[in-house]
Amino acid sequence: MKWHPFELHTHTPHSDGTHTLLEMCKQAKELGLSGIALTDHNTVSGLIDSDEVTKETGVAIIPGMEWTTFYGHMLTLGAPYCEWRDLGPADIGKGIERVHQKGGIVGIAHPYSMGSPICTGCHWEYEITDWNQIDYIEVWHETMPSLRNHNAQAFRLWTDLLNQGFRIAATAGRDWHRSDNDKNLAAYTYLGIEDSEPLSALSVVDAISRGRLCISMGPLLLFKILSDQRAYGIGEVIGRTGEERKRALTINVSLQQANIPERQWIATEAHSVIIESNQGELCRGPLSGEDFQFSETIEADNLLWVRARLYGLQEGLLATLAFTNPIYLESH
Amino acid sequence: MHELLAVEGKLYPSSSKTHITYQFHIPTPLPSLQIDFQYAPKKSEDKSGSRRLIEQSIEQYVHPSMQAAYMDKWEQYMPLQNLLTISVDDPSEFRGSAHRHPEKQSYLLATSSASPGFIPGAILEGIWRITISVHCVVTPDCNYLLRVTEGEQHL
Repeated sequence: MKWHPFELHTHTPHSDGTHTLLEMCKQAKELGLSGIALTDHNTVSGLIDSDEVTKETGVAIIPGMEWTTFYGHMLTLGAPYCEWRDLGPADIGKGIERVHQKGGIVGIAHPYSMGSPICTGCHWEYEITDWNQIDYIEVWHETMPSLRNHNAQAFRLWTDLLNQGFRIAATAGRDWHRSDNDKNLAAYTYLGIEDSEPLSALSVVDAISRGRLCISMGPLLLFKILSDQRAYGIGEVIGRTGEERKRALTINVSLQQANIPERQWIATEAHSVIIESNQGELCRGPLSGEDFQFSETIEADNLLWVRARLYGLQEGLLATLAFTNPIYLESH
Repeated sequence: MHELLAVEGKLYPSSSKTHITYQFHIPTPLPSLQIDFQYAPKKSEDKSGSRRLIEQSIEQYVHPSMQAAYMDKWEQYMPLQNLLTISVDDPSEFRGSAHRHPEKQSYLLATSSASPGFIPGAILEGIWRITISVHCVVTPDCNYLLRVTEGEQHL
């Protein structure tokens, strides 16, 4: 499995962005990104340049769109244009079905942004009758995401849904409109893709659908759970019988530094790993050794999901630096 | 320049979150299609009315524990603006949209190229549709003009 840093929420002049696809991908390359998803508002015309831009920059471009509707903004990936203009506030399920039928996935963009008339349709107001239809939620939006108020609510929404037993992925999205020298940094969404797979709409959709994601301001945070001689990775499901459910689990966390100079906070500043779950925080501790490891054995019953979070100093502020998507547990 | 459609209309705050679709017939294939669209006013000049709308938004969209802090800074959301966007459908499929803020916009669609937001392709005979998506009207009224003409040049 290789973990590729992506930016999943971008715009160009085909909607209201000011940088061209080429300008954006050049800067994406400088940021160390393997790929971007082009998610212009309500159009897919910008993809016309994507082959040429990928050839020039080496940055993969995944087709997407941001449904910029009256009742919410919804990101789609891996699907062509799907109709949204005939949908009312109770009809989003019908719209999502259109995207799924075309092989795409959907994510709620910035659910707690200010809505109309300040930012038209930016606050999610669609009625969701079946959360299983939602593939991902953009819980970190814009630059310096862990410091933004509206993201705290989105992160809580995601956690509440996980606690209810839904398996929904979490992503970051810069909502990238211009390539300037913004000192405020954006997060990476690392996607776990099999070594043999090319970076394509198919492999990106697959990684998100299977929950193989780590969201980070730089370093790649990964963890595994050892259960019955097997190691389970991010996004995987540990199935246990009633008896096995009580057995202790070993959690191994690892961290790889980003090779981007301004992203190497962990080398110098305080940091710790927090393991959290539907039962709340399970344990925490420092990363140690040259290869930044953390290991702990936990005994907890009734676990539905477990994720790792990296907490430390970012530009002198104490904040979450990275978090993984969960490993899930179920009993049978 | 042959005119295919020319309309104007007046919108009100209650027109927010509606779509207006114009449907017109192109009798023979064309080299290109020119679309000119404008609306006015763009910005609300009504400070007290805007403040009321911003305060309502804060109550509706911000977590109750944070509302007071946002209320203090209501002016950061000024000026409130109208937003109308257009999208185009040819006789068989979606041909793009222009989701952006300028209140005066001109677009060209042709076989081998198109203005940003739109998808190049033949301008075929049949029923075409242009949709004005009224995302938001914050001024007492808002007037728009939409004109579609047969484009002169091949792009």
